[in-house]
Amino acid sequence: MKVLELKEVNKIYDGSEVHVHAVSDVTLDFHEAEFAAIVGPSGSGKTTLLNLIGGLDMPTSGEIIIDGTNLSKLKSSQLIDFRMRNIGFVFQAYNLIPVLTAKENVEFIMSLQKWSRKERDERTFELLKAVGLFERMNSRPSKMSGGQQQRVAVARALASRPKFVLADEPTANLDSKSATTLLEIMEKLNHEEKITFIFSTHDARVVKMAHRVITLEDGKVVSDDKRE
Amino acid sequence: MKSYKMSWRNLWRNKRRTLITVGSVFFAVFFALIMRSLQLGTYDHMFRNVIESYTGYLQIQHEDFWDNKIIDNAFSYTPALEETVLSDKNVSAAVPRFESFALASSGALTKGVLVMGIDPEKETLLSNVKGKLVKFKLNEENIESLKKSDIPEKYRENLDLYKGKSFVSSSSMMIEMGISVKDSASIMPVLRELSYFKNGYFKMGENSALIGDKMAAFLKVGLGDTLVLIGQGYHGTTAAGKFRIAGIVKIPAPDLDNKIVYLPVDISREFYNAPGMLTSLVLSIRKNDDSEIIRMIAALGPKIEPPLRVLGWREMNELMINQMDADSKSGMIMILILYMVIAFGIFGTVLMMTAERRREFGVLVAVGMQKTKLATVVAIEMFYIGLLGIASGIAAALPVIFYGYSHPIRFTGEMASMYEDYGMEPVMPFLPVDWYFLWQSAVVAIIVLIAVIYPVRKISKIQIVNSLKA
Repeated sequence: MKVLELKEVNKIYDGSEVHVHAVSDVTLDFHEAEFAAIVGPSGSGKTTLLNLIGGLDMPTSGEIIIDGTNLSKLKSSQLIDFRMRNIGFVFQAYNLIPVLTAKENVEFIMSLQKWSRKERDERTFELLKAVGLFERMNSRPSKMSGGQQQRVAVARALASRPKFVLADEPTANLDSKSATTLLEIMEKLNHEEKITFIFSTHDARVVKMAHRVITLEDGKVVSDDKRE
Repeated sequence: MKSYKMSWRNLWRNKRRTLITVGSVFFAVFFALIMRSLQLGTYDHMFRNVIESYTGYLQIQHEDFWDNKIIDNAFSYTPALEETVLSDKNVSAAVPRFESFALASSGALTKGVLVMGIDPEKETLLSNVKGKLVKFKLNEENIESLKKSDIPEKYRENLDLYKGKSFVSSSSMMIEMGISVKDSASIMPVLRELSYFKNGYFKMGENSALIGDKMAAFLKVGLGDTLVLIGQGYHGTTAAGKFRIAGIVKIPAPDLDNKIVYLPVDISREFYNAPGMLTSLVLSIRKNDDSEIIRMIAALGPKIEPPLRVLGWREMNELMINQMDADSKSGMIMILILYMVIAFGIFGTVLMMTAERRREFGVLVAVGMQKTKLATVVAIEMFYIGLLGIASGIAAALPVIFYGYSHPIRFTGEMASMYEDYGMEPVMPFLPVDWYFLWQSAVVAIIVLIAVIYPVRKISKIQIVNSLKA
């Protein structure tokens, strides 16, 4: 089932001195439970493409359709609400809310969606167990290692069962062991939860695990390899 | 997580900064309240002194008397007039006065004085002259006796400061001399015994006078001495008389204390050859708030036949009110400067907080938090800072103010003389809780609200992609 569709998407940064065509005529589809990696050299447009897919930025032209909804047609507040319900984010720098515990970080989006206390607890405990941090649920981010924080970030991204999760260089700040653990957890959750994962990455381990590898160069898709 | 809970946690993520900001609000509120309480308390005290010692809240006079206080502007006091004023439900009594000027003399000393003819009983409802009779007096002789007594050293050392001082009650003596409650049990009986002043009062028809304490000191007269008064009577007649000094009063308005002579009103009229006349009819009222006084002026005015008119305390004390308004404005400018400093402090905190959390704001909006909700969280944080600062400022100021109210600052020595030269009692009391508390708190709340505009505006214009790079 198609969860995400990009049609001739372009992003041009048109400053007074610089004119950058960051994403150029990208047309892609993503399906349920895909585990896809977007790769390419620095400046190839990976993060820009991820920002466009996540509705954090708007394309100069083209359409991004998620589960039948064209992001360009949504008003600012509708877009925020749409993101909350349909897209999970994992950032390179973890970006957990520092004043909340691991448990509160995971249940944060569920709270925004007004899930009941019981539903929130069940889902939070399930995810924290899945990422191996059930025992640390009451710890604040400052008391956790980078790898642990990123695992909490993965749990947060999956909490409200989004259509897909966007992960921008999720392993870039992690040591090798933590990165491997994180990738195994994400692969497992992708398999169990049937949620699509889209990574932008330089990490060979991510590429190795991915079922699909999209290569960007100068904002253009130069290859799209699907693996079985 | 509820917004208020998240705001509370955010508040303590940088404890030192929060405490400094709360501290700045605290000091602003604390000092503003103390300053304002002192200022308003002093005004209130001065007004009360003048109103309760002299003008009262409402008077009926001949229309020319206030501007030209000659006894030719006196009026006849008729039963009809009394009935009219007593018909107002807020009037408890109509108190007659006959006042003019005269030259007072004793021995070789002479002084211009204000002669106030009063009804000895009815006047207790207004200026309470009886309550102002000196009860204790520290003259040279009894100070020497006190020095020989076994009162604590710290009080004995300061006794000379109070030489010549009079007190109308034991408690005023205790407060003015700074005697603590703890020490009072052992000191006050000795003080009362050694400084007791056997005073007297007068009755209608008695050829006696009560005079101000300062005036008595000036003329070097005491109880039982004779005071000679010479002045101009009604319609150019000569007024001259001798009066036995029946009592010494201490008026809290020093200027008045230095020139007041009370006579029974019938004796005063006789002295000035104006039988049946009054210069003013002072109304003793039950409720003295401004709105009630305005109502009474409007209600009684039309009922009183010209050339009589009703005067309120504001009209009678216009000069003092103007002086205090000017002084109040200068005080408010000081407070404004204080608030400006605080406003910049708060704004500095807001700027730093917004800058360092830009990335976090971006993340929160990215994962689905509406900007309005995020702005609410930040606004509540600022509200907490304001609330903590205001509440702690009020909590710290309250005991000081209540203490200052019950133990007013009393000046002694040169400072006291300076105050008295300006006709003011050398005392600075605090005003207890009043509207100014609300005002000071409201001003700080407004500053906080203005400071909130910046982060709220930043949040409303947030560019997520740029924020995530911050």
